[in-house]
Amino acid sequence: MSLPIRHLRKASKWPCFEDGQPSTLMAALARNAVQSGRRVAVRERDFGIWPEFTWQRFYEDVLAAAAALEQLGLLPGQAMTVIGDNRYRLYVASVAATALRAFPAPVFPDVPPEELAHYTKYGTPTVAVAEDQEQVDKLLELRERLGRPQRIVYDDPRGLAAYKVEGLISFDTLLADGRKRLIAEPQLAGDLVQRSGPGDIAVLLHSSGTTGAPKGVPLTHENVLQGVRNAAEAGYFEPHENCYAYLPMAWVGDFIFTLTGALALRFIINIPERQETVLHDLREVTPTMYLAAPRAWDNMLTRVQVAIADSTPLKRRLFNYFMPRAIEIERRRIAGEPARAGDRLLRLVGEIAVFGPLKDYLGLSRAARAYTGGEAIGEDTFLFFRALGVNLRQFYGQTETSALTAAQLGDDVRLHTVGKPLPNVEVRIDDSGEILVRSRSVIKGYYNDPEASRKALADGWLHTGDAGYLEPDGHLVVLGRVSEVVRTEAGERYIPNYIENRLKFSPYVRNVAILGAGRETLAAIVCIDYEAVGHWAEAHGISYTSYAELSQRREVYDLVAGVLRHVNGFLQPPLRVRRFVNLHKDFDPDDGEITRTRKIRRNVVEERYAALIEALYGGSSSVDFEATITYESGQTGRIRRTLSLQDVD
Amino acid sequence: MLYRQAGIRHRRYAAERQLWPLTFDRVLVGGVVLFLLAAPFTLDRLYLGSYLLPWLLWSSAALGLNLLMGGAGQIHLGYGAVMAIGAYTSVHLVRSGIPFELALVLAGMTSAALGIVFGAAALRVKGLYLAMSTLAMQYIIDFTISHVPGISGGTQASLQVPRVTLLGMPVTGEVTPYYVALGLCAVITLFMLNVGRTSFGRALAAIREKDYAAEIIGVGTFKYKLLAFWVSSFIGGVVGAVLAVCYLRIVTPDQFHLDLSIQLVAMVIVGGLGSVLGSFFGAALILFAPIFFNNAIGTLATQFGLGISTDLRSHIPLMLYGALIILFLLVEPLGLAKIYDNVRKYFLVWPFRHVRK
Repeated sequence: MSLPIRHLRKASKWPCFEDGQPSTLMAALARNAVQSGRRVAVRERDFGIWPEFTWQRFYEDVLAAAAALEQLGLLPGQAMTVIGDNRYRLYVASVAATALRAFPAPVFPDVPPEELAHYTKYGTPTVAVAEDQEQVDKLLELRERLGRPQRIVYDDPRGLAAYKVEGLISFDTLLADGRKRLIAEPQLAGDLVQRSGPGDIAVLLHSSGTTGAPKGVPLTHENVLQGVRNAAEAGYFEPHENCYAYLPMAWVGDFIFTLTGALALRFIINIPERQETVLHDLREVTPTMYLAAPRAWDNMLTRVQVAIADSTPLKRRLFNYFMPRAIEIERRRIAGEPARAGDRLLRLVGEIAVFGPLKDYLGLSRAARAYTGGEAIGEDTFLFFRALGVNLRQFYGQTETSALTAAQLGDDVRLHTVGKPLPNVEVRIDDSGEILVRSRSVIKGYYNDPEASRKALADGWLHTGDAGYLEPDGHLVVLGRVSEVVRTEAGERYIPNYIENRLKFSPYVRNVAILGAGRETLAAIVCIDYEAVGHWAEAHGISYTSYAELSQRREVYDLVAGVLRHVNGFLQPPLRVRRFVNLHKDFDPDDGEITRTRKIRRNVVEERYAALIEALYGGSSSVDFEATITYESGQTGRIRRTLSLQDVD
Repeated sequence: MLYRQAGIRHRRYAAERQLWPLTFDRVLVGGVVLFLLAAPFTLDRLYLGSYLLPWLLWSSAALGLNLLMGGAGQIHLGYGAVMAIGAYTSVHLVRSGIPFELALVLAGMTSAALGIVFGAAALRVKGLYLAMSTLAMQYIIDFTISHVPGISGGTQASLQVPRVTLLGMPVTGEVTPYYVALGLCAVITLFMLNVGRTSFGRALAAIREKDYAAEIIGVGTFKYKLLAFWVSSFIGGVVGAVLAVCYLRIVTPDQFHLDLSIQLVAMVIVGGLGSVLGSFFGAALILFAPIFFNNAIGTLATQFGLGISTDLRSHIPLMLYGALIILFLLVEPLGLAKIYDNVRKYFLVWPFRHVRK
């Protein structure tokens, strides 16, 4: 199986850009096999140990897979469905498809069978590569309905031995067939390396779908390789990173940060055993580059906090001594204040006593480059990891721009910006406040959707649909979706969601509604977090009996005012929140104020609390408010409350 | 805090079973080995000959006994006699002109052969009864040695160990005997570290937990109990031989009396049953605690002019010594090795808690 193909000659030439860099994924792979054939390309955890695959092995497997996939009828310009968790062989199949000028169309492994038809509608995929029995079952169901994919290649044979279905092929067989063909046709290998060009599609992904149905996003070899190169030029990627392939293959982040990055810059791809073991395996991998969604960083922080709360008194005290101080140092550093005497000593001792062991525990001790993107990350989380000594940085980008548009570079990190545009990427803000991007890493158009392509790519700039602005020193601030932009009376644009999210990063604020459309200033309706504020009240000797009573305490008002003042510091002066009220209850899906997924329903809030909003923009310091409440039984009742209103400076 | 566990991954299962996967442990072991190797050049000869050398020898003996007690769960109160057999066999062999290398092996064989005879009692009796049978062995061997002039050279006689050479080196002075003992200790330590990972070690563990349960799952207790006595007695015999040649130099029957057996059992229990590290800790505590207390009390008495009578001066160290052993076993019934393990784990999971009590 893994024996080298004796007659396989090393590739002598491959498609290149003007500057000699490989211009397709296959070309990059061929180059790596020639120049670093014996270096490790992939490690995949298998029953507790980490078998290694060299670049030469990767290259041979891709060639064999390509040779066999062609025999299975994979045609140029055709999509090949790839579905499953990260697996070496799924990456092999993806590159093999591009070598045939076809392209992989990865699908999230948790897509239910009903939605699979939607994710496989582009490029008439007749061949699918599946991870295991679960995915094969889904594909078979799909085939029953649509007649395709005719051929299903599976990686993990477990449970599939008894399947007597036509067109079901194991990956082992696929590779064996391919090897036979490569030996029978000695010219084939060289031909496969040469076939694809930079303009061919390298992968078909789907746009996030927050705005309507997901669109097909075809990224070409040029797009993805340029995207990686932009990042490398900015020092965002280094050659030979140890990277961790655990993010869904259907997400652009994995395709760029893992596969393309690895091919272009010879990363080592480490693949965890299973999704359930990702955190455990992370410690064994100890990647040098680690990408995680903000929520994953939040979870990691919670894990640490819970374990520390349970630790021995001495260790807990050490943590509670060093951590807040290091966070304070980091906060000052980011704010541009000069370092104080003793800062370095504290960091040094803290590194030995707390930070080093913590990073070791998390598996981040070698993560010189740790990234987060996709949405805004909470300030506390961000500062915690930076204070720990993990160089966590944010980036901004879309599927359409090969994931990387702007990024925080070097030590130039701010809390509210996503950094500067990467080299060779132009970013412009148009009159409506929308962020426009132009680069070789941006797609030329959506797949089979000229209408959407024209709209999004008018005049050669990609209209991202995100609202934002550039700070004078070139840092990009992303506010939110353009469709959410609201204007004040004076015409100042703002996105309520952006301010609300920043406020909700505070543990004391559970929900908040920012008001101000067509008004002179902004105001907020704040729902405190009963648990967090309750703890705070107990710690400060403030008595209360209910949410309503707690929310109206003077001290709690001051606490919330402090949170608002802090967030106001990031906002431009006309967009600062000037006045707020603590609501006597939390927003509740039963009352229709928020959805089940905890998104605010602005029209409902504005209608229900119309009287309260009027009062906020009036001058009084309190308001009598009569509310309708819905009990869980469905009955409704009315309740009268006096709520205080407070100004913020 | 001291330990780093990130980035440890293995390509093969064999690599995963290495003894010390953590860097800090390896550094620690390396440090101790270096210290022991360099000791003759850095340490005062007095310390070398009267502290390190006996410590290595008694640790080796404790390791051999630990295989039986901790590994197979068979108590042995006659280990001193086993060592005596080895010591007398080797001395007589060497005196009759047989090379020391061969004498060592034969000493081990003789101990093993006699040890297995008494060990056979373990096939029928357990616990206290086995303790009694092995105690009987101690007395029978003691009696035989002192009353057969051919062995001891007479009741009051002592046997002078002739000059011997090992692999061409004369074992004289202080340095060579030390290295011989170190080499023997290293071999036994490596054997003991690895025995738990062999089928033999696992069979012993099965017998230790419950012998008839072991029989039911297919571990022949007959074979493995005898093997355990055989191996343990072999080690005891070899250590006895080296003890005679490298440390005692003159062999008399009373050096191997019940005192020695009890001392070794104490080392194993205080150190930690079944623990390699524990054998070293146990040997150190049992050997040196009395000396330490003696010196300490002596210093107190002379320096500070405390009016301690001579009687008391010789008794207080013994009382303290006994109290110390009780204290250690109260704090951690699983022995010194477990105390070390607790400390290690405290640092291993830093800054978190290892287990919640």
